Amino acid sequence: MVPFSESARDFVRAQPDAAGRLVALERFGAVGLPTASEEVWRYAPLDAFDLDRYALATAPATDLTTSLADALASVAATTIRLSDGFVLDSGRPVPGVDVSWLPAPTGPDLDPYLSDAFSLLNAAVTPGVTTITVRAGVEVPEPLVIACGASATASFPRVHVVLEPGARAVVIEAYEGGHESLVDVVGEYDIGAGSALTLVAYQRLDHSAWHIARTTARLDRDAHLNHAVVGLGARYDRSRNDAVMLGSGAENVLRTTFFGSGDQVHDFRTRQYHVAARTRSTLLSKGAVADAARSVYTGLIEIEHGARRTDARQTNHNLLLSPQAHADSVPNLEIRENDVVCAHASSVGPLDEIQLWYLESRGVERREAQRLMIRGFFLEMLDALPPAVAELLTADVDAALGALEVAR
Amino acid sequence: MSVLTIQGLRVAVGDREVVRGLDLTMRSGEVHVIMGPNGSGKSTLAHALAGHPGYHITGGTAEIDGVSLLDLSPTDRVRRGLFLALQQPIEVPGVRLADVLRAAGVESEGLDARIRAEAERVGLRPDLLSRFMNVDLSGGERKRAEVVQFALLRPAFALFDEVDSGLDVDALGAVARRLAASTQEWGCGVLVITHFSRLLHDLTPTVIHVVRAGQVVTTGGPELAAVLERGGYEPFGVPTSDA
Repeated sequence: MVPFSESARDFVRAQPDAAGRLVALERFGAVGLPTASEEVWRYAPLDAFDLDRYALATAPATDLTTSLADALASVAATTIRLSDGFVLDSGRPVPGVDVSWLPAPTGPDLDPYLSDAFSLLNAAVTPGVTTITVRAGVEVPEPLVIACGASATASFPRVHVVLEPGARAVVIEAYEGGHESLVDVVGEYDIGAGSALTLVAYQRLDHSAWHIARTTARLDRDAHLNHAVVGLGARYDRSRNDAVMLGSGAENVLRTTFFGSGDQVHDFRTRQYHVAARTRSTLLSKGAVADAARSVYTGLIEIEHGARRTDARQTNHNLLLSPQAHADSVPNLEIRENDVVCAHASSVGPLDEIQLWYLESRGVERREAQRLMIRGFFLEMLDALPPAVAELLTADVDAALGALEVAR
Repeated sequence: MSVLTIQGLRVAVGDREVVRGLDLTMRSGEVHVIMGPNGSGKSTLAHALAGHPGYHITGGTAEIDGVSLLDLSPTDRVRRGLFLALQQPIEVPGVRLADVLRAAGVESEGLDARIRAEAERVGLRPDLLSRFMNVDLSGGERKRAEVVQFALLRPAFALFDEVDSGLDVDALGAVARRLAASTQEWGCGVLVITHFSRLLHDLTPTVIHVVRAGQVVTTGGPELAAVLERGGYEPFGVPTSDA
């Protein structure tokens, strides 16, 4: 097999926007892959990671349609199907919504990623940026779905969602497949003044996959982002989610939920960055690890000088379902303004005994009660979605949790 | 015809023994009422019978038709026939009533319609029961949700711990009538713990037990409620010794 670095260079040279991509690729070469000795990567099984084991996806695989993608399509305004990051189907037209396919970011657009190897790699070799723009004042009640299938390759999907002022939309990204794959995703979300985005990232890749995702949301004045990140799949699932409150009155609610079994690692990183005054952010992370799985939650609340009357909160609950499972919780605060409210709470432990007893005392077997409660983490998150979507994702969560065994 | 027999039951909360040798026998279709001052062990009895992890049985027996409940898991106690409606129902975020009932083995066919019908019988807005269990429900709504669970599980015996507190007059009447009807519909044996005889306007007791300091000190007919209403618990005295 051709080493990854060589196939990446060949791919980049063949692209029309090769010059910008080469900058990113060279920068990636200079930064290098992270090692487990770096604090932010200490929980990643990088010793077992070899980029050259993967072939770079240079064309879409054609047989990546799944039953989940089809089910989502049946309740969606439109469904964009990506295969290894390439657009297979750009969906049907939706009034007031533009779907386009843009070149990879270059120049100053790369600046936020200059020390982030996987994001640099994405910028270099992504097939292109799937861009959804919801025009000013347009409301789309049904979800706009991006169904991302992955095959046994290294793929680099990239998504950009723009809500113009006063727009409202629901965007669902679903990641599936990817046996023995690397799926390296970058998402950017520009949420205009007074607009509201409900965003769901639903990840249930094969348990052999490496999933590395980074999202950045930029919120303008009075913009709202209700963001749900669901992690069910992948051997190593890393999801970094940043929200930048740029305009006063902006509000971000981020919920992350995960379930880990076997030797899975769910590694969630968040940054709630308050630049403007009177902005709010709430983070709720709730997940469970069984077997020898582990979870990491590292959350930063950062408040700039002048971001007065900011209200920022973090809550993190981790469930340990076996003696070998492990969870780490690391909240951080960086506050450069006095007139703010900040709170964080975290817990690591087993399921609540009194809640379990209550369900048992209604006639539910203990194991089934445990399963209902863990499933409940996901249902709580899905509750804000349109009912038809919540229902089908609930069925999918049930399938994923079907084999759930809780050690005593 | 089933019989629930409690003999010499003793229950401790932490180091403190709160129920101290309690006896009670009831049969299918009967309505028993337990009345007693605060701290006399009524709720402790209820929680212990339902297997709450914070309550420890230190002596005595509780059986349905000769089968010991105390050796069973909380799940099997209700499946064997003893249901507890809590005074303070517990919030379980992310979990819905219909899923719990299905997991408990309640017939799935037409379940949503039966939940709605039972909710209406106790004056509860049915859509409240599609929320996560007890989340964002008022105290009175939670009490009625417990009664809906009861009606769908159809246990042989049911214990209602202060089901009347937090209910307005109309809801109180509806709940009392629902409990009374269950004694006819499936011969349920109903055991209610209450401070107020108001509940008994629409739910005629077979027997009233007065409990003090963890024991039954007096057992009598429905007329006891009026006696208690006038004179309180003091005239009934406290137990002279541990049973």
